Amino acid sequence: MKEFAVFWGCTIPTRFPFLEKSTRTVLDAFSLPYRDVDGFTCCPEKSLINNIDPTLWKLTAARNIAVADDEGVDVVSPCTGCVSNLSTVKKGLKTNPKEAEEVNAVLKKAGREFKGAADLTHLVPFFHDKIGIRKIKDLMKKDFKGMKIAVHYGCHMIRPSHALGADDPISPKKFDNLLAALGASPVKARNKLMCCGQGLDRVNQHDNALHLARIKLRELKSEGADALVVCCPSCFLQFDNNQFLMEKEGEKFGIPIIYFTELLGLAIGFTPEELAMNSHRVSVEPFIKKWEGRDTTEASEAIEEELSDAGVFGL
Amino acid sequence: MQESLDFNLLKMCADCGACYEICPSSLHLDGYDPRAVIKDILKGEHEKWLTSETIWQCLECHYCLEMCYQHYGFESAMTALRRLAASKGHFPPQLKKGWDLFIKSSRLGDPAMPARKKLGLPAPAKSGVDEFAAMLEAYKESRDQ
Repeated sequence: MKEFAVFWGCTIPTRFPFLEKSTRTVLDAFSLPYRDVDGFTCCPEKSLINNIDPTLWKLTAARNIAVADDEGVDVVSPCTGCVSNLSTVKKGLKTNPKEAEEVNAVLKKAGREFKGAADLTHLVPFFHDKIGIRKIKDLMKKDFKGMKIAVHYGCHMIRPSHALGADDPISPKKFDNLLAALGASPVKARNKLMCCGQGLDRVNQHDNALHLARIKLRELKSEGADALVVCCPSCFLQFDNNQFLMEKEGEKFGIPIIYFTELLGLAIGFTPEELAMNSHRVSVEPFIKKWEGRDTTEASEAIEEELSDAGVFGL
Repeated sequence: MQESLDFNLLKMCADCGACYEICPSSLHLDGYDPRAVIKDILKGEHEKWLTSETIWQCLECHYCLEMCYQHYGFESAMTALRRLAASKGHFPPQLKKGWDLFIKSSRLGDPAMPARKKLGLPAPAKSGVDEFAAMLEAYKESRDQ
């Protein structure tokens, strides 16, 4: 496997270092060839920079990709926004040589050149496509049989599909496949692909942000979900922090928000403490308690059977 | 507006509305009606939207782009209006705060050092702030020429 740099983005190191902890823990456990690279900046955030100065948005993303190009590494990110922004700019420049030339004329003065050689992948499709279900199964010590775990893709893991090509943008499967491999029972939700709505908090519309979070959390509560799994710091912020704020005002949901790397970490034998899961604002304890209280022997036999039936070994 | 948007596509957009079924803001935020905005753009009456909350309610989830048979969607119209609004100084205060931080530091925040230490995380990689500043200067020069 080609060496890759983890593009941490701004939100995880600034607000959620514990998500960096679980990500590193999992990457190390799989002995993956990753390293930290000096020189990255904000990807930059599309809703913020592209709305004010589209040229600067492209220049900044192109420079980040050029850093990876110069280091000779691919890029993997646990943030959907970073991957989507970088990929959108990469696709635009790769298909528009004149624009790439203009961008490079500026980048040259900062000592860089955009080539677009680095592959850019989000962590979920990365685990699905490049690590694979079989390897995950090899390392798995515990499964989630009997646990109802809802999945939230995060819009920018899969869209815009012309730039990402990561999964079907309207009917994605990869995150679901990974959860199925971990033995989780899926939760059918009408609002499964609905945007989390965190963007509204960034434009001073907090009540509207809460309103969108509430719609999804209410549905999950009525479906009896034990947890919601995400793999985007913005979605995590929306469902963990904003759920906490609503609960403080008396609205109870009780849906723990679990990062994909935390769930995977638990499955391969790390403890919630080792994964720093006590840092969430909405407690993960009800989930952990129910999970640890299951009859596990029966669960693992059943999951072997179900996985064979589903044909996921062939992926 | 004619410079930044394809009015022929927008005309079809104004009559279509296929993406109302999947647009989270159209479905769930009272008063969010992109076709009303698009009809005003086509009439040349977009000015009134520049100071509205509506244009910032597009979540940029790109769902409409995927559903749109022209791969155009409401989002393109909202983005054009947001850029015009921003160029006239109309934007949510939080957006301005984020922009200022980005220009100054090249990032939207610094790594949380005490928490990193507690979690046993390695020292964070160096940011590209100096190179970013040089790029910003070069960009300003090329723009002014």
